[in-house]
Amino acid sequence: MDKLNSTLTAVKNLRSNVKQCFEHLADGTDGEGGEESRNKFVHDFQERFGAINSQLREVEQLINGLQVPPTAYSLGNTAYLAQETSQDRQALYPQLVNSYKWIDKVHDHSFLAFNNLNQNTLRRSYNYCSQKRQRLPFSSFNNDPDHIDKLLSEINTAPHTSYRIFRPFGTNAVAIVTISNVMKAAIVFKGVLIEWVTVKGFDEPLEHDDLWAESRYEVFRKVQEHAHSAMLHFFSPTLPDLAVKSYVTWLNSHIKLFLEPCKRCGKFVANGLPPTWRDLRTLEPFHEECRNC
Amino acid sequence: MGVTVLQPYPLPEGKSGAHIIDQLGKRLLALGATHSGQFLVDCETFISTPQPHNGAPGRAVHVLHNSEYPASTFSIIDNGTGKQVSLVADNIFDLLMLKMTNTFTSKKQTKIESRGARFEYGDFVIKLGSVTMMEHFKGILIEIEYKSCVILAYCWEMIREVLQGFLGIGVAKEFPSYFATQTIMTAMGQQQLHAKHNDIYEPMDTVKQYLEQFTNYRKHVALHGGMVSGGGQGGPTVGQPGVHIPPSSMVGMGRP
Repeated sequence: MDKLNSTLTAVKNLRSNVKQCFEHLADGTDGEGGEESRNKFVHDFQERFGAINSQLREVEQLINGLQVPPTAYSLGNTAYLAQETSQDRQALYPQLVNSYKWIDKVHDHSFLAFNNLNQNTLRRSYNYCSQKRQRLPFSSFNNDPDHIDKLLSEINTAPHTSYRIFRPFGTNAVAIVTISNVMKAAIVFKGVLIEWVTVKGFDEPLEHDDLWAESRYEVFRKVQEHAHSAMLHFFSPTLPDLAVKSYVTWLNSHIKLFLEPCKRCGKFVANGLPPTWRDLRTLEPFHEECRNC
Repeated sequence: MGVTVLQPYPLPEGKSGAHIIDQLGKRLLALGATHSGQFLVDCETFISTPQPHNGAPGRAVHVLHNSEYPASTFSIIDNGTGKQVSLVADNIFDLLMLKMTNTFTSKKQTKIESRGARFEYGDFVIKLGSVTMMEHFKGILIEIEYKSCVILAYCWEMIREVLQGFLGIGVAKEFPSYFATQTIMTAMGQQQLHAKHNDIYEPMDTVKQYLEQFTNYRKHVALHGGMVSGGGQGGPTVGQPGVHIPPSSMVGMGRP
């Protein structure tokens, strides 16, 4: 290693000497001096040239004294410096252009999505109000527990259906509805507004610490999907109490989930599922496939 | 766990059981069902010893396993007068039965099982079982379970529709015999009509249905076995009927 170091130093010296020599040549004489200065210039040049020669010999000697290393030197990250650095070969440019295009697209789309979502009326609880149209807050946000208790006791009339109400999130109520021996549903309220509905089978556990897990049965996962769309359908900011009442009436129509055939095709089973959709107005049962045809 | 109905499939003349099961399996796959492994239900019967001498039927203990509930052993004690006591225990119950050879002896030749492919179709589980007793093919039992419902009366029409759909035979509109309305004695000693199809379904009900069907197959064997051996197969077999289920224990196993 020491030999290598001294060789490198010698090469460095040689290079700087050569450079100085050429600089000296380039400077030349001042042109005005006579024979003396010209002689001095030539003499200087010869001296430097002699130094270069001796250093060149020294470098050659040192190089001859070098041994081939037994193993390759570990150069760390500097080893990569020797790799190809030409831009054409690395194909960086097309990738850069692509990612630029993507970022541009993402920006465009997110801008459109932001605008659309702000217009969406289905965002109910945290309504985005522009400064121009400051509205009165919806009455559905009123969080008076007495009012909700009264409302839930009013809807607690259907036979075969039991309601269990508790408040795990402060004043907001959660009602666990058990419809006969068919199914259970957890309705999560925010004020009088229904925020979330989870539907599960009669033999599945549905407790306050497990409100969000999906049912293990396909049919109840489908019913939950429909329950969510019905929840949005029945939402009414001006008459929140009526909205809850009609929603619960709709939910209660699932008491005959397995008992009634589809109104359109007259069959019980389609795609392995009973008629899971209940018409929002007439409460008639339909298969998901049959409801729109 | 949901409602399960067991349906024996009548074997048409001149068709082998394997052929029928193959055909039914293909039909299920065409319907959109997916194949999901195998299943096995087996039943072993232990008879109390010594047998009562006064002609009263002996007591029998039926021990069943169901691959749907792999950690459990089901047992049904039949006192011969139609009263059944059922028990669900851990698998170690089998070892307990081995210890009780003094009072209960196993009737090896009546060990019967139903095994075959298991299919899933939505929330339905359909099992095509071929029943074998002592390695002899006895018939086909179709088990259909609707997992998301716990009361037969609610979903019987659905189950019936699916059954008819892939079996290609008519299924009676009435509830299966196991779920029929029965007269039971209440704790107060009064007779009362009890609609079993309105009960919440339990795994034991599946096992009891299997026992009912298995008992039918055994009876069938006993009758036909007697006829064949009496029907002139020659000397050596005349003495054989005793090897088949003796009449006394037969009554004990079946429902009166």
